Amino acid sequence: MVSIFVGPVYFLVQYYIWSAVYSGESYINGMSLSQMLSYFCATMLINYLTMDFADWNLQMLIRTGKFITFSLRPLNHMFFALSQKAGHRVLGLLFEFLPCFMIFFFIFHIDVLPANLLYAILSIAMAFMMNFFIHYSIGMVAFWMVQSSSIRNFFNLCEGIFSGSLIPLVFFPKSLQMASFFLPFQYTAFLPAMVYTGSYTLADISLPIPQVLLLQLIAVIIAGVVCRVLYAVSLKHFTGVGA
Amino acid sequence: MKRMYQIYKTCMKANIASAITYRVNFIFNSLIMLIGNVLFPLVTVFIYNSNASFAGWTFKEALLIQSVFILSTACAGIFFNGIMWNTMSHVVEGTLEVVLIKPTSSLFLLLARSFEFESIGLLGGGVIMFVYALSGIDGMTIGSWLLFLLLFGAGLLVMFGVALIVAAISFKWVANSRLPEMFESIKSFGRYPGTIFPKAVVAVSSFLFPVSMIAYFPASTLIGRWEPYFFIAIIPCVLFAAFGIWLYTYMLRSYKSAGG
Repeated sequence: MVSIFVGPVYFLVQYYIWSAVYSGESYINGMSLSQMLSYFCATMLINYLTMDFADWNLQMLIRTGKFITFSLRPLNHMFFALSQKAGHRVLGLLFEFLPCFMIFFFIFHIDVLPANLLYAILSIAMAFMMNFFIHYSIGMVAFWMVQSSSIRNFFNLCEGIFSGSLIPLVFFPKSLQMASFFLPFQYTAFLPAMVYTGSYTLADISLPIPQVLLLQLIAVIIAGVVCRVLYAVSLKHFTGVGA
Repeated sequence: MKRMYQIYKTCMKANIASAITYRVNFIFNSLIMLIGNVLFPLVTVFIYNSNASFAGWTFKEALLIQSVFILSTACAGIFFNGIMWNTMSHVVEGTLEVVLIKPTSSLFLLLARSFEFESIGLLGGGVIMFVYALSGIDGMTIGSWLLFLLLFGAGLLVMFGVALIVAAISFKWVANSRLPEMFESIKSFGRYPGTIFPKAVVAVSSFLFPVSMIAYFPASTLIGRWEPYFFIAIIPCVLFAAFGIWLYTYMLRSYKSAGG
């Protein structure tokens, strides 16, 4: 419920910042002020549906040895963590997404309706999976390092910058925009936000939304395979005492 | 006083020893904090690289405000922010007796134990950015530096007050780990030039919840853009800290033990 306060307050700050930046300018890097505000609303709303802390959870279980209780169960922990996340995000949908959606739409009068509902749902679902795979993979570092919060912090830093949640990636230098196609981060925030708002351009490459979804699908499959392989290798490294 | 100094010194040493137990992790964390905070104003960098700006502010002026915000956050992180998490943890686990039975002020002891060496990377990042931003500021005098230090101290009082208020609330509202997020979101108004906000927001962020004192006001003194009302805003900052101390001491009585 705290998000109902925090989300709109952060949005208000963004609103004033970008209103000041756009004073006297109609377009900056191909985006108008209203597009920019819709973009920030979309990234915030999508984040409520895809947010993940599987890395923190897994690292805690490994560090404290509690992971041993999972290795004894006839259950794949990766699937357990995914189910846990799905449950949390259903709560996110009810208590974060919907109230904030209404606040943005009715109070701030921002156009937060998805350009195409089906495409938006597909893209958000893939962002949900992508976020899980990359966070879970980062969590598995704890199988090798006892205290791996630094790796998690480094990853969170990269994610914060390259996912596009701070600023749309079109503001980045061209080389970084190109690099974003090969990094996993844009598939968790920037890309779904652009699908949500209905147009996608990065590094001067404009793609129709179905192609964008295909690109996202390929990225998710690669991340999923990497995550699954890492999981199989990681389990062999686990040593738990007591718990 | 000497005894308090000894207690604080012991707690500091214990925290530093604990922080460097996992050396690689500590070094990585400090470096990441340093790099992360140098990268933090990327938004500002990209905005100015796109030939746009915060109306009326040069790039280095805007950067100076953000670097002061990081310095304040780092000081708060090192010296007192930990009291929020320490108090919450003691309340949730019902172990505050361990602190209460000690023959010294509980608030002081919790503060001493809240010393957090890991924020040193944040401080380093802030200093680098501050020095870089200062290279584009002209006309600074000893007077402007003294005013800066005065307002910077007042900004720390605001953060100290916030930390104590959040910690105090946790005595009644147990496991309120997301409450600090609410204060963090309000604090973000202090990270940007106040002139981009409407007058009502400036009034609230100056006198009611004086977050402008965290970065905007102190940085403006170095730039030479200070206004007389900045100094009136010191009063609510002092009141904020005083209220935090009073509330914490008052709410401490509400603590219910869970057996330790």
